[in-house]
Amino acid sequence: MKKTLTIVLVALLAFSAFAQGASEASKEGETITLEWWTWDTGMIEQNQSIIAAYEATHPNVKINNTVIATDGGAYKTQLSVLAQQKALPDVFMLSSGDIEEWASNGLVRNLDDLVASDPEIYDKFYESMFTSLKDVAKTDYLPGFPFAYVSCDLFYNKDAFDAAGLAYPDGTWTWDDFLAAAKALTIDKDGDGQIDQWGYYGYGRYAEAQAWVFSNGGVLTDNVKHTFEPNSGALDAIQFMSDLVNVYKVAPSPKDMSGISYKTIFPNQIAAMFVDGGWFSDDFRKNIGDKFRWGVTRVPVGPQGKAKVTYGWPDSYVISPFTKHAREAWEFTKYIAGEGIGLDQFMAGKMPAYKALVESDEFVDMTQQPYGDMQLFRDHASDTFVTSYTQGWSEWVGYGAAESMGLNGAVDSILNGEATLSEILPSLKLSIDKILARYY
Amino acid sequence: MAIKQKYRWHSRLTPWILILPTLIGLVVFRLIPIVSSLVLSFTKWNLITDPKFIGVKNYTELFSDPDFWKILGNTLKITAGYVVGGMVFGLLLALLVNNRIKGMNFFRAAIYMPVITSAVAVGIVWTRILGPKYGILDFLLGKLGITAPYWLQDPNLAIWTVTFVQVWKMSGYYMILFLAGLQAISKEVIEASVVDGATPAQRLFRVTIPMLSPTTFFVLTVAIMDAFKNFELIYAMTKGGPQNATNTLVYSVYLNAFSYNRVGYAEAIAWVLMLVVGILTVFNFYVKKYWAQPLE
Amino acid sequence: MVAKRFSRTVIIILLVLAALVSIFPFIWMLANSFMSEDQIFALPLKFWPDKLFRKGMWDNYREVFSNFSFGLYTWNSFLVSFLAALGQIIVCPMAAFAFAKMRFHGRKAIYTLLLMTLMIPVQVIIIPEYYLMMKLGWLNTYLPLIIPSFLAGAFGTFMFISVFEAIPMALFDAAVIDGASAYKILWRVYFPQATASTATLFIIAFMNNWNDLLRPLLYIIKPTLFTVTMGLTRFQNQYTTKWGLILTGSVVSVLPLIVVYIFCQRYIIENQMSSGVKG
Repeated sequence: MKKTLTIVLVALLAFSAFAQGASEASKEGETITLEWWTWDTGMIEQNQSIIAAYEATHPNVKINNTVIATDGGAYKTQLSVLAQQKALPDVFMLSSGDIEEWASNGLVRNLDDLVASDPEIYDKFYESMFTSLKDVAKTDYLPGFPFAYVSCDLFYNKDAFDAAGLAYPDGTWTWDDFLAAAKALTIDKDGDGQIDQWGYYGYGRYAEAQAWVFSNGGVLTDNVKHTFEPNSGALDAIQFMSDLVNVYKVAPSPKDMSGISYKTIFPNQIAAMFVDGGWFSDDFRKNIGDKFRWGVTRVPVGPQGKAKVTYGWPDSYVISPFTKHAREAWEFTKYIAGEGIGLDQFMAGKMPAYKALVESDEFVDMTQQPYGDMQLFRDHASDTFVTSYTQGWSEWVGYGAAESMGLNGAVDSILNGEATLSEILPSLKLSIDKILARYY
Repeated sequence: MAIKQKYRWHSRLTPWILILPTLIGLVVFRLIPIVSSLVLSFTKWNLITDPKFIGVKNYTELFSDPDFWKILGNTLKITAGYVVGGMVFGLLLALLVNNRIKGMNFFRAAIYMPVITSAVAVGIVWTRILGPKYGILDFLLGKLGITAPYWLQDPNLAIWTVTFVQVWKMSGYYMILFLAGLQAISKEVIEASVVDGATPAQRLFRVTIPMLSPTTFFVLTVAIMDAFKNFELIYAMTKGGPQNATNTLVYSVYLNAFSYNRVGYAEAIAWVLMLVVGILTVFNFYVKKYWAQPLE
Repeated sequence: MVAKRFSRTVIIILLVLAALVSIFPFIWMLANSFMSEDQIFALPLKFWPDKLFRKGMWDNYREVFSNFSFGLYTWNSFLVSFLAALGQIIVCPMAAFAFAKMRFHGRKAIYTLLLMTLMIPVQVIIIPEYYLMMKLGWLNTYLPLIIPSFLAGAFGTFMFISVFEAIPMALFDAAVIDGASAYKILWRVYFPQATASTATLFIIAFMNNWNDLLRPLLYIIKPTLFTVTMGLTRFQNQYTTKWGLILTGSVVSVLPLIVVYIFCQRYIIENQMSSGVKG
C-alpha cells in the first residue's frame, strides 16, 4: 500500500512539474500583443493593474509583462540573448549604463519619427530629460523614452543641526560651508574618546564620489580620445573627500564603517550628512519615520563648480528596433511612463518625466518627511545634468559586483589612507584606459 | 577500483544500461555546454552580438595581466585553507555525532544549519560580527583589551577571514559525507578489534580511519573542487576586495561574464580554473594508491 | 566506568559547543524576523526582538506569505528539489554499481569525464547551457532545473562508488554464487547497505536544488512558477532593501530543508550496520 502511494505521489508531482510549463495559447485576429520587460520585482502585481487599465481602453492590444530580477545579471543576460536572436521585447527597461553600447549595436529603435508625429509630447514630458538621454547614449537621435530622472543630493539631519546651533543648508552652500558644518557636527557625545556622531560619511560609490566630482566642474573621461583624463576639478573633489576623512577628520573611513550597510549610517545617526541618490528620500521616509527630522538639498558647490549643475541620469524604456508595432508600443510607453500611472509608482526623490505628476500637489507631500524639501526635485527639472557614462562604465567605475575595483575601489583606498591620490592615479589611468580601449 | 574477477560476471549490455541515464545527462547537459565554453574562450563575445573568433588573445591578455597572478594566488590560498579546515572539522564532527546519545538528531541538525542557510544571510551575519565598529567580535575582544585587526578590510587578512567563514559554513556538509562513510564500516570489524583489546585511540587510528580511506579520498576530491567554486560568500561579504585581495578565479569569471559582458574572456579564465583544478585532481588520484585502498 | 562517563561528558560538551557555534546566525535571523525594520539595522545591535510576544509579532511572516506568495514558492521549490533529488538516488547507484563492479570498454574514459564535470563551477557553463535550453524549448519550465540534476549526478555517483567499494567482497561473492542477476545484486544487496549514503545524497541534492538561485532566475519567468530563492529577490532592488522581509524569508526558506534533513537522519543511524554475512 505504502509503495503504491509513493508511486502515485511521485507521478502526481512529476505530472504537475511538466504541466506547469505549458504555454498559453496565443490570441489570434486583429489583437496585437506587446511584450513588456521590467526588472522591478516589487511591482509584479501593480504592473498587472496597469495593464488591465490600459487594455480596457485599448481593446485591440494585449500586453505581456515579464519581470526579471537584476540579481546575478539575470535580467540583462536574458535580454541580451534575445537581442542577439533579434527577438527583443517591444518595450523594455534598459539601464543608462548600457544604452550607449546597445545604440551603437543597433539594438534600440530610433524614436525621432514617433516624436515628430506627436506634437504634444514635450508639453506633457520634460524635454530636458529626453535631451539628457541622447547625451548619455551619445546618439544624435532619441534612443529611448525616459520615464524618470534621478539626481544625487545632500541629506542632512535637522535635529543634529539644531543641537549644534547651525543653520540648515539652503541649496547655495559651497564646500567651505559644508566643511564648517561638518566640523561642528562631529561630536564625541559621551567624552570617551570615540566619535559618536560624524559630520559626514561617504565612500567611493559612484552616486557619492561622482556627485562631488561633478559639483566641482569635474570631468572624468575625454570622450573624444576615449581615455581617463580627470581634470583638476575631479582630482580636487576626490582629494576633498579624502581630506574629510584623513585631514579634517569629520568623516570615518569606509574601512571603519564596513560591517554596516552604508544605507543605514544616516538613519542610525552615525553621520549627520550623507550624499547619494535622491531616491533615498523614499528609503529614509520608511526607515527613519519620525525618529528624527531630516531634509534634502543640493550637493554643495565646489570652487570650480557652477550652480544648478547636477549629477543625475534618466531611467528609460527602450523600444525594440525589431518591433512590428512601433506605434502601439509608443502609445503604451507613454502610458507607462506617466500618462497612466500615479505618483505611487515612483520612489520619492525620483522625478517623473511626466510633467503633470511633478506639478501635482501630491508631489510635495507636506504630511511626510522631508516635507517642503521635496520642492528640490521640481527645481532639478531646470538643471543641467551631467553624467560619466561611457561604454564599459560598470567596469571602470566599479559598479555592483565590481564595487571593490575600478574607480570605486581606488577612491576607497584613498579614503582608507592606504594610498594617496597621486600614488594611485597612474595605475588607475592605465587600467581604465585599457578598459575604454576595448570599446572604442 | 581493481576488480579481482578474471571473468565477466555480467552480460555485456548490463553496464551500459546501468549508466545510460548518467551518460545521456553527461553528454547533453554537461559535455555540450562545456565544449561550447571552450570554443567560446577563443572568441570575443558581449552576448548582444555574435561571437567573434580571436584565437588565443583572451589567454594572452589573461597571462599578461598582473592581477591574474594575484587572483590565482588567492584561489590557491583559499583552496588550501578550505580543504584542510573542511576536512579536519568535517571528520571531527562526524566522529562526534557518530555516537548514540540522546537528542543526537538535534545536534546533527544544528551543526548542519550553516550549510543550508543562504550565503547572503551568512554574509550579513558574519560581516556584522566582524565589523570594526559595532562588531560583536571586536567588542568582545575590546573588553579583553585586544585591538582587533580589520578582519575583512586588511588586504592580507581578508582572504583568510573569508576562508574561515566558508569553512564554518561548510564543515557540516563534510561532516555528513564522513558520517555516511562511517556508517558503512562493518560493525563486526570494530567489534573484533574491541575483543582484541584495542583502546579507543587505537581503534580510531588503526581501524576506523584506514577503513574510512575511500570516503576520505572522496571527500578530499570533492573538497578541492568545492574550494574552487566558492563564490556566493565572496559576493556577499567582500565583492573581491579590498584591492583584489579576495578576488578568486571563479569570482573573476562571474565579473567578466555578468558584470562586464566579456563572455569569451570569462570562459578563458574559467578554463584556466579548470586546468588548475584538473592538475590538482590528477595529482590527488595519482597519490591515492599510496594511502587509500578499497578494502579487500 | 569512570572513563566512559568522562568521555561521554566531553563528547556532550563538544557537541553543545559545536551546536552553538553553528546555530547562532540562524537564531539571530529568527530574532530579526520578529523585529520592526528600524530595529533590525539599529546600532548598537539589538538582540531582543521588539515584537516578540507582542502585537504585530507575525507581521513579517504575514506579509511574506500573503503579499509575496511564499507559500506558493515553497511548494514550487519543494516540487523541483524533490524530483531532482529523487532522480539522483535512483540514477546514481545504478551508474556507481557499473563503475565499481563491472568491466566495460570506455569505463575509465567515462569515469574521468564524469569526474571532470564536478570541477565545473556553474558560472562557466551557464551561458552555453542557457542557449541549449533555449534550443530545446525548455525555457520557462521546470525542466532545466530538474532534468540535468536528475541525470548527471556526478557527485552522487562518486559517493556511491566509494561506499560500494567499502562493502565486503564476501557479500558480493555470496550473491554471485547464489546466481543473482546484476540488477538484483545492485538493488537487493548493495543499495540496502548504503542507506546512509542514499539519505545523505538526498539531503545534498535536495539542498543544492533548493538553494539554487542562478538557474531559476534564468529559466523561470512566470511569477507563479517562482521558487523560494527567487522570492527572496523580491525584497530588494537596486534602490531599496527590506531587511526584515529578507531575513524572515530566509528563515522560511530554511525550514523545509531542516525538515528534510531530520527526516533523512532517521536512515543514518549511528554505529549500526548489519554485516549481512551470517555465521
